[in-house]
Amino acid sequence: MKSLSLKNNLIGYTFIGPFVIGFLLFTLVPALASLYFSVTDYDLLSTPSFIGMENYTEMFTNDSKFFASLKVTFLYVFIGVPLRLAFALFVAMILNTASKAIGLYRTVYYLPSIIGGSVAVSIMWRNLYGDEGVINHFLNMLGLDSVRWFAEPAAALWMLITLSVWQFGSSMLIFLAGLKNIPGELYEASNVDGAGPVIRFFKITLPMLSPIILFNTIMQTIGAFMTFVPAYIISKGEGGPLDGTLLYSLYLFRQAFVYFDMGYASAMAWIMLIIIAILTGLLFWTSKRWVHYESKGGH
Amino acid sequence: MKARQKILLLLMAFALVLVSACGGNNSGNSNSSNTPAATNAATNGDKEPDPVTLRIAWWGGQPRHDYTMKVIEMYKSKNPHVTIEMEYANYDDYWKKLAPQAAANELPDIIQIDTQNYTQYAGRNQLADLTPYIGNQIDVSDISQNAIDGGKLGDKLYGMNLGVNALGLNYDPALLKKAGIESIPENWTWDDYVGMAAKAKEAGLFFDSGMRAEVFFGYYLRTLGKTLFNAEGTGLGYEDDQMFVDFFGMLSKLVIDGAVPSPDVLAQIKGAEDSHLVLNQGIGVWQWSNQYVGLQQVANRPMALAPMVGPEMTKGLFLKPSMFFSVSENSKAKEEAAKFINFFVNDIEANKLILGDRGVPVSAKVKEALKEVSSEAQIQVYDYVAWAESNSSPMDPADPIGSAEVFKSLTSLAEQMNYDKIKPEEAAKKFRDEATSILKKNK
Amino acid sequence: MMIKKLKWPIYHIFVAALAVGMVYPVLWLLMSSFKESNLIFATADSLIPQPWIWENYKIGWIGIAGQSFGTFIMNSLEIVVISTIGAVLSSAFIAFGFARLNFVGKSFWFGIMMVTLMLPHDVVLVPQYILFAKMEWLNSIKPIVIPQYFGIPFFIFLLIQFIRTIPTELDEAATIDGCGKFRLFFRIILPLVVPALATASIFSFYWRWEDLLGPVLYLNRPSLYPVSMGLKMFLDSDTVSNWGAMFAMSIVSLLPVLAIFFAFQKYIVEGISTSGLK
Repeated sequence: MKSLSLKNNLIGYTFIGPFVIGFLLFTLVPALASLYFSVTDYDLLSTPSFIGMENYTEMFTNDSKFFASLKVTFLYVFIGVPLRLAFALFVAMILNTASKAIGLYRTVYYLPSIIGGSVAVSIMWRNLYGDEGVINHFLNMLGLDSVRWFAEPAAALWMLITLSVWQFGSSMLIFLAGLKNIPGELYEASNVDGAGPVIRFFKITLPMLSPIILFNTIMQTIGAFMTFVPAYIISKGEGGPLDGTLLYSLYLFRQAFVYFDMGYASAMAWIMLIIIAILTGLLFWTSKRWVHYESKGGH
Repeated sequence: MKARQKILLLLMAFALVLVSACGGNNSGNSNSSNTPAATNAATNGDKEPDPVTLRIAWWGGQPRHDYTMKVIEMYKSKNPHVTIEMEYANYDDYWKKLAPQAAANELPDIIQIDTQNYTQYAGRNQLADLTPYIGNQIDVSDISQNAIDGGKLGDKLYGMNLGVNALGLNYDPALLKKAGIESIPENWTWDDYVGMAAKAKEAGLFFDSGMRAEVFFGYYLRTLGKTLFNAEGTGLGYEDDQMFVDFFGMLSKLVIDGAVPSPDVLAQIKGAEDSHLVLNQGIGVWQWSNQYVGLQQVANRPMALAPMVGPEMTKGLFLKPSMFFSVSENSKAKEEAAKFINFFVNDIEANKLILGDRGVPVSAKVKEALKEVSSEAQIQVYDYVAWAESNSSPMDPADPIGSAEVFKSLTSLAEQMNYDKIKPEEAAKKFRDEATSILKKNK
Repeated sequence: MMIKKLKWPIYHIFVAALAVGMVYPVLWLLMSSFKESNLIFATADSLIPQPWIWENYKIGWIGIAGQSFGTFIMNSLEIVVISTIGAVLSSAFIAFGFARLNFVGKSFWFGIMMVTLMLPHDVVLVPQYILFAKMEWLNSIKPIVIPQYFGIPFFIFLLIQFIRTIPTELDEAATIDGCGKFRLFFRIILPLVVPALATASIFSFYWRWEDLLGPVLYLNRPSLYPVSMGLKMFLDSDTVSNWGAMFAMSIVSLLPVLAIFFAFQKYIVEGISTSGLK
C-alpha cells in the first residue's frame, strides 16, 4: 500500500467514524462477553463459571441434536438461497418494465414479504400443505401420491424452503434497484449489434448486476443461517417432525432461553459465526473472478 | 499509548458487564435486613406510609390484562401511597424479557411465575423467601397448608400459590354417547380407557388428542408409587423401565391404531377453534382444569370433566399451583409487595374480577364467594377441583433444574414412538440415558 | 409488430396471475378479519365471511388494557421514523467511506462489519441489555433508535455495492472541479444512489415496524408499546386468543407499511442512465 497522507486517513475515518464508534459502544463488549460465556457454564441467573472448552467438546462429541440441526440448516441454506435468488431475479426482470400498473405490481409482489412471520402466513402454509391441501391435490393431478408433509422430516423442510422462496421481496427489490442502475445506453448499443435477449442477459445484465448479486448472495446466506421464525410458523417452535425443521438458530434459542444454558448457546453461536465467515470469505474470494465493478479500488 | 488506553477502556466495560451478569448471587445475602418484626412495627404505626413504587409483571391474553389492571386500580385506590407499574406480555415474550432482567438485576418487584420456570429462578437466588410474610402481611387463615406448600422449594417459600389446577379429561358427553359409551365411571382403569378408545374409533371419532408425555407419564408413575424425578433432582425417580414401556406402549398403540390422532395431524391444527373436539370429531382432551372454561367457550356446547384414569388414581392425582406471585430478591419494597399479593389472593371483590382465571383460588372464603358470580362452566371447574382435592395426594417436589431438557427428550421420544420409528423398549433405555446425563449435573 | 401487440396482454396476464398467488394470503387475512373469531379456522378454506362483521375492528381498536391501538401505532411511527432517518443517512455516509476512500485499516473495519452480521443476537442480547441498563436507557426507545445512527451493516454493504457500480470518472471530474470529498458525497454520489436509498428506507421502515425483540426487551410500560407488541398481545399460548381482533389490527398495521412502500418504490427508477451521464 502506498503511503497515505494523514489527511486521507482523517477523511476516511470521518466517514466510517460513526460505524467505528457504534461498534465500540454497542457491539464489541457484548460480543466479547458472549465469547467469554462460551467457555463458561452460565445459566443467565447466576455467575458464569469457567469450564474451558467443555461446551465445544460436548457439542462435537455428545450432541446428536447439534449435528441434526446443522444438517437441516445446511440443506435449508444451500437449497433455499439459490432458489430464492433465482426467483427474485426473475421477478425483478419482468417487473423492470415501464408500465402504468408497475407500481401496483411491485407492491403486490412485495406483499408476501411484509406479512412476514405473521400468523396468517402460518395458517396459509398449513392449509396449502395439509393432507387435503392444494399441494397434494396438485400432486394427485399429476398422478403422484399425496405426501404427508407434516409427518416426513424431509418433506417438512420443503415447507420452510418454499416459504422462504415465496418471501423473495427484499432480494427482488434490491435486484430491481440494481437493474435500474444499468445504463440504458448499453442495451441500446447491443440492440444495434442485433443481440437477442438471451445474449443481452448474459453479456450485459449479469455482469452489470454482479455487485448486487454478490450482495444478495452473501446477505441471504447469512440471513438464512440465522432464520428461525419460519420454524415457529410450521412446528410451533418444536422443530418437528422428528427434528426435521430444527434449524440451528432454533436449537440455539432453546439452549439459551428454555434450558438456561447460555454458555452452550454462546459456543454454538461462535461455531456458527466461523461457518458463516468461511462461506462469506469464499464468496468474496471467488467474487474477484465474476464480479464486475465500474469503479476501481475498493477492498 | 492511545491504543492502549482504548483497550483498557474496553476491558473495563467488559468487566462491568461480567460483574453485573454475576449480580444474581451477590444480592442473595445482602438483603436480609427485612425482618418481619421491623416491618410490622413500621406499618402499624400511625404516621402516613412512605410512597412506594411497585413493578409487577405477568403474562397472559387480553382478558387477563384487562381484569388485572382493574384489580391493580382497586388496590391503588385503597392504598394511595402505592404506585404500581405494570409490565405485561404474552407467555413467550414474557420469559424472553425476564431472563435478561434477572441477569441485569432489574427484575420487577412482583413476578408471575409458573412451575416450569420456578426452580430455575428460585434456585438461583432470584426470588425472595416469603416465609417471614406468611401470617403477617399475607393472611393465610383461609388457605390450606397444602396450597401454600405448593410454592416451596426445600424449606423456603419462593412463591405464593395463586390458584390450583387438576388434570382430567374434558369431554363432550353427547359425542361419548355417539361412540356407544354411556358414561365414564369415576374409577375407570387404563383397560377401560383403551376399550373406549377402540369404540370411538369404530364410530369414526378420535377419543382424545393425545396425552402430553411429560405431564401424564409423571401422573402414571405416581399411581405406581414412583415419581419422574428422584427427590434430590439428580436422576430419574423410577428404576423399572417396564413402567415406561407399559405406558408409552399403550399410548403409541392407540395412535398407530388411529384411535388418537397422529402427531402430524395434530400439527395441522391452528388453534382450539379447529381442534377435533370443537369440530365434533374428537370426544375429549386431556388437560389442566383451568383450560376447561376456554375450551368450553370455543366449543359452545355442554361439556363435562372426567377424572384421571386408575387404578390408584388417588395416588396419582394432585393439585398443581397454576402459577405463583413471587417477590424478586432485588426488590426494595418486599413487604409492600407481600401486601399486594395478600390483596390479590384474599380480597373477595378483587377475586370477583379474577374469577379463577389464574386457577381455582386457594382461599376457601374467596372460593365460596365466587360461586354466586361464576358461570356454569366455571362452577364445573370449582366442583371438579374440590372433588380432586379430597381424591388426590400431595404434589411432587418442584421440578429440578434441567427438567426442561429432560421433558424435551421425553416428548421427542414419544413423537418417535407415535410414528412407530422406535420401539418403547428402546425408547425407555434412551430416555434413561439422556435424562441421567442431564440430571447428573445437579449432583 | 404483431408479436409486440400479442406480447403485451400475455405479459399482463402472466404477471397478474402470478400476483394472485402473492396476494392470496393477504386477501385471506383481510377476509378473515371480517369473520367471527371462532369461525376463522373452521372456515379457513372459504374466503367469504358468513356473516360479515365489523366488531373485530371495533374491539381491536379499543386495544389492550386501557391502551388504544392508536397509541401503539403512534409509538411505532415514532420509533420507525426516527430509526429510518438515522439508519439510512448514517449508512450512506459510512458506505461512501468504504466504497470511495482509501485509508489505513479499511479492510479490517470492513471485515469487522461483516462479522457483526454473523453473530446471532440471542447471545449478545443479555450483555447488551446489561449495557443499556447501566446507561439507564431502559424503558425508553433509546436502545432501539440510537444505535441506528451508527450505521446498519446491511445498508452499509448494500450502499457500498451500489456506489461501486457508479463509474469513478464522475468523481474524477468532480475532484478536478475542486469539489471536496464531502461535496462529492452530498452532491454527486447521494443523488445517484437514490434507488438504493429508497430500497434501504423501505427495509428499515418495515424491519423496525415488525421488530418485536427490541420492544419486548426495552419497553416495559404498555403506554410505550409499538404495534408489533400490541398485535402479539391479542394472542397468548396460555390463555384465550382473540384471533379476529388480531387479524383486523394486522390489516390496519399493514396500511402504513404499504403506504411507505408505494411512496418509496417510485424512486426505484433509472438512476445514472438518465440523470448522471447526460
